[in-house]
Amino acid sequence: MVYTTRQIGAKNTLDYKVFIEENGKPVSSFHDIPLYADEANQIFNMVVEIPRWTNAKLEISKEERLNPIIQDTKKGKLRYVRNCFPHHGYIHNYGAFPQTWEDPSSVHPETKAAGDNDPLDVLEIGETIGYTGQVKQVKVLGVMALLDEGETDWKVIVIDVNDPLAAKLNDIEDVEKYFPGLLRATNEWFRIYKIPDGKPENQFAFSGEAKNKKYALDVIRECSEAWKDLVQGKAADAKDIELTNTTLTGTSLFAPSAADAIAPNEAKEDAPVDKSVDKWFFISGSA
Amino acid sequence: MIRGLNSVMKRLLMTKSHLETPFYGKVVQGSKFTSEYAQYLKLPNGEVGSYFHDIPIDIDHKKHTVNMVVEVPRWSNAKFEISRDRAFNPIVQDNKNGKVRFVDNVFPAHGFIHNYGAIPQTWEDPTVVSAHEGVTGIKGDNDPLDCCEIGSAVLSMGDIKKVKVLGSLALIDQGELDWKVLVIDVNDPLATKVGNLNDVETYFPKLLGSTRSWFRNYKIPTGRPANEFAFNGQYKSVQETLEVIEECHASWVKLLEEDLTDKKLPQRQRAGGGVVFHPNELPDAPIPPEVGRWHYLKEN
Repeated sequence: MVYTTRQIGAKNTLDYKVFIEENGKPVSSFHDIPLYADEANQIFNMVVEIPRWTNAKLEISKEERLNPIIQDTKKGKLRYVRNCFPHHGYIHNYGAFPQTWEDPSSVHPETKAAGDNDPLDVLEIGETIGYTGQVKQVKVLGVMALLDEGETDWKVIVIDVNDPLAAKLNDIEDVEKYFPGLLRATNEWFRIYKIPDGKPENQFAFSGEAKNKKYALDVIRECSEAWKDLVQGKAADAKDIELTNTTLTGTSLFAPSAADAIAPNEAKEDAPVDKSVDKWFFISGSA
Repeated sequence: MIRGLNSVMKRLLMTKSHLETPFYGKVVQGSKFTSEYAQYLKLPNGEVGSYFHDIPIDIDHKKHTVNMVVEVPRWSNAKFEISRDRAFNPIVQDNKNGKVRFVDNVFPAHGFIHNYGAIPQTWEDPTVVSAHEGVTGIKGDNDPLDCCEIGSAVLSMGDIKKVKVLGSLALIDQGELDWKVLVIDVNDPLATKVGNLNDVETYFPKLLGSTRSWFRNYKIPTGRPANEFAFNGQYKSVQETLEVIEECHASWVKLLEEDLTDKKLPQRQRAGGGVVFHPNELPDAPIPPEVGRWHYLKEN
């Protein structure tokens, strides 16, 4: 399947939206992109939200129809992640697995924390910088369990199947072998990234250890089941998630005409980013 | 009332600092990220000048400040530098056999980790061997002194900044002495608090170590060995660094005064003849995707 993107509004503004298109028609980035690109070979589709080394906190909207990728806001202001030395912006191509949901009504038996009400987060570690709205085919390598302000927020570690190293990476121990230091940096990044905003250090379940591929595949399956319940109206609490879709014929919010109401592509030049985003924060005591 | 007074004072101070720094312009030719690109210094009177020779060093031994010409903004990869061989020493992108150079990203660094640049009116003399203990017998790299600005803002190519000297590292790059002077923009919010290497460690923890690793490793992805340092990689103090700067300034004075014919020495043409260049800036060329690659070294 070839996916394209439709941009509305300028990047770094409140109007910015990126829809994923299939055959030129917008589809839901949350519900319409299949989780599996090739189920027999365990190859997944990943939706890239944030390219590596950038700061804008872009994410799949839960509220807007067809779930475009938009920039998160706080009190009406655009959110950017801070640079915590030695890191610059996000250190992975950051995104989500479509057709997954971390159910906030379900407490995980091992992390003892409830889901964060978002699609499952994905960290892609390949050498090519992705772009917002890209649908990548990825191989799953492991998972880390971040406890972000008390909620379970799994971070699945993957690599693009087209990366030159993809064939050599089959499980979590291969990540340390071919990307020495990356897992430790990932752990540090998520622990400290909110400290510049006055928040405490985040915690990881499992003493910060990354779980292996098998564990990650189980987490994906659970979140896939939770999403199936959500989209079929069986979730304990659907949290007002926008469920309109153009491909899931059995669901009550199946609406192929929803695509027609989306504004046409109008890629505009990026708006400037506030200079304060460039600041490097030096946090003493970080690993 | 007090608030109003404050804002008047602030405006007066801003005007004062504005008057102290002459307004330098630029003349840009060609597409960025191609070997045809050149950014020339335009002096306040409109004529073209040299970033190497026409920006005053403006060394202040009491305040420990000098001028800096910014060549590479933090977190970028294109290796821009003041040209040695072109008349008026424009900022150009270094190239090898016509192919423009980008520094590799060595994990966990993205591009250059400082605003990188040079101290004008200095020269690391390649014609004489150093007599200093620790670097005896080593010749200079034939370039202006390099400096690394650590302030919070990402600076732009061609910016002229008054910076405070904090220390230095003596890199030995392919057998040549290549000092890296650590500085901070005097207008950075932390500039008044940071005056020496201890302060850098306090306010920028781990930056000194990361800077050393960066310079040691940055050429490894291209197949070169790790760079070495004189003085066992120890940083030199502010005073010692100011002496190095003075020495390189004296070498520069000699470079301009002496009757040298060696074609490998830097171009010495400078402002005064009223030469005017016209801009002919073209759209940026794309940065090759492989510049986005992160290289992981086993030693990390």
